[in-house]
Amino acid sequence: MIRSRTLDIVLGVAGILILLGLWHLVTSYELISRVFLPGPAATFRSLERGIVEGALLPQTWATIERMLQGWLLASVVAIAIGSLIGVSSTARAYLQPTLEFLRPLPASAIIPVAIAVVGLSWKMVLFVVVFGSVWPTLLATVHGFAHVEPRLVEVSRLLQMSRLAFIFKIGLPNAVPDILAGMRLSLTVALILAVVGELLTGELGLGTAVLHASRQYRADDLYAGIILLGVIGLVSNYGLALADKRILAWKG
Amino acid sequence: MTAARNAIELKEVSLSFGSNQILTGIDMRVEPGEFICVIGASGSGKTTLLRMIAGLLTPTSGAVLLHGKPVRSPSRRVAVVFQDYGRALLPWRRAYANVSLPLEAGGMPASQRPARIRELLAKVGLGNHEDKFPGQLSGGMQQRLQIARALAQEPDTLLMDEPFGALDAMTRQTLQDEVLRLVSERKTTVFFVTHDIEEALYLGDRVVALDSNPGRVAYDIKVPLPRPRDQLTTREHPEFLRLRREMFEIMNKIHA
Repeated sequence: MIRSRTLDIVLGVAGILILLGLWHLVTSYELISRVFLPGPAATFRSLERGIVEGALLPQTWATIERMLQGWLLASVVAIAIGSLIGVSSTARAYLQPTLEFLRPLPASAIIPVAIAVVGLSWKMVLFVVVFGSVWPTLLATVHGFAHVEPRLVEVSRLLQMSRLAFIFKIGLPNAVPDILAGMRLSLTVALILAVVGELLTGELGLGTAVLHASRQYRADDLYAGIILLGVIGLVSNYGLALADKRILAWKG
Repeated sequence: MTAARNAIELKEVSLSFGSNQILTGIDMRVEPGEFICVIGASGSGKTTLLRMIAGLLTPTSGAVLLHGKPVRSPSRRVAVVFQDYGRALLPWRRAYANVSLPLEAGGMPASQRPARIRELLAKVGLGNHEDKFPGQLSGGMQQRLQIARALAQEPDTLLMDEPFGALDAMTRQTLQDEVLRLVSERKTTVFFVTHDIEEALYLGDRVVALDSNPGRVAYDIKVPLPRPRDQLTTREHPEFLRLRREMFEIMNKIHA
């Protein structure tokens, strides 16, 4: 059976409403103390207050900015290194073992190193966000280059294309679907690490806002912050899915 | 005055992969502007031969010469049309940009490209499809696009590897006539690989038949049919029918 898009949207909204309903029931019967879990109504009042009065806006922007900066920087680094590995077996031989050593390291293990090297500052957060979110896109780029249609490699040879021309005219366009998928994964990682970075450095942002709310038993503000973080993830993912569709129009 | 150099010359060309002998002692001369068709069963090494002329493969022994010069690597003076148009075209580039690729590679200034690209697309009947992606075109149209891309190189020599093998009979005939028209305009030398005897006779000035295991020249005949050729009158021509019978008998003997 083929489901229509409208039905999918209706089901998606219904899922969210059911979750809100359960949340409401749990809190109205006080299965969990309201000190720790306020009801949806109180949370959304806090969210509304934060947005209308503007207290939450600078924090939200700061987190989005931190996430996007790190993500874009990671993407550029990943695509550049990935392309290099993709076209040069020498570069692959040099870089692969190092990358395979660094890749499994948890980003959290890098944090103390980053603190020691650049200090407890926004630079440290940027470094950690880039380090953690570079991998999905890097692996995707390498994968995309490794799976260029052999016939197209021949076409590039027949046309005597330079290595640079091959990268930009065949290798990268061929890797774009993989790269976009990698960048979507990277963005989620970037958001997580941006918040972790804020928790550690106390820089302005939603992570810091949530931490303060929790320490001061402002449960409604705490959940308002978490909802905003969820919305950032949701919106950015849908935005990228939309971009995917436009960029990959040739896939029909 | 020395005689005009051969467009393609193969001297005692052999190729083996390990102990596997693919081609042995191939001698062949193709004059400039000549349309030569190479037929043979699958495994006779006809595609391999084409790839050596293209500079994609190096013979184990012997020499491949283009206009008297040994082939060491591919040259933009030689264009190749592959059978699998679906893989040979860039799927993310529209028809227009696919034709643009050889012009970019050849360093043509961007300002001169649009006119040239539109001229080529019009020539192969794709004038109204420049904004389509290959995936949105029929098989015949994709093959036309690949031919336009090959012509964009302004090649002296056009190598075609069973280009119409994947197309239906009607489309194949239309494209045969288009290729004849396009290459006669520029006096291009054509090396056309096929396994279809009638196609070889219809298109070629000469037909070379390859024997298999290892591939070697079994037969080399001139096709003295008048040009321009016509799908009805040429195929009904007594000489066409006689050659067709002769070729069938040769191929049967080879594969007996």
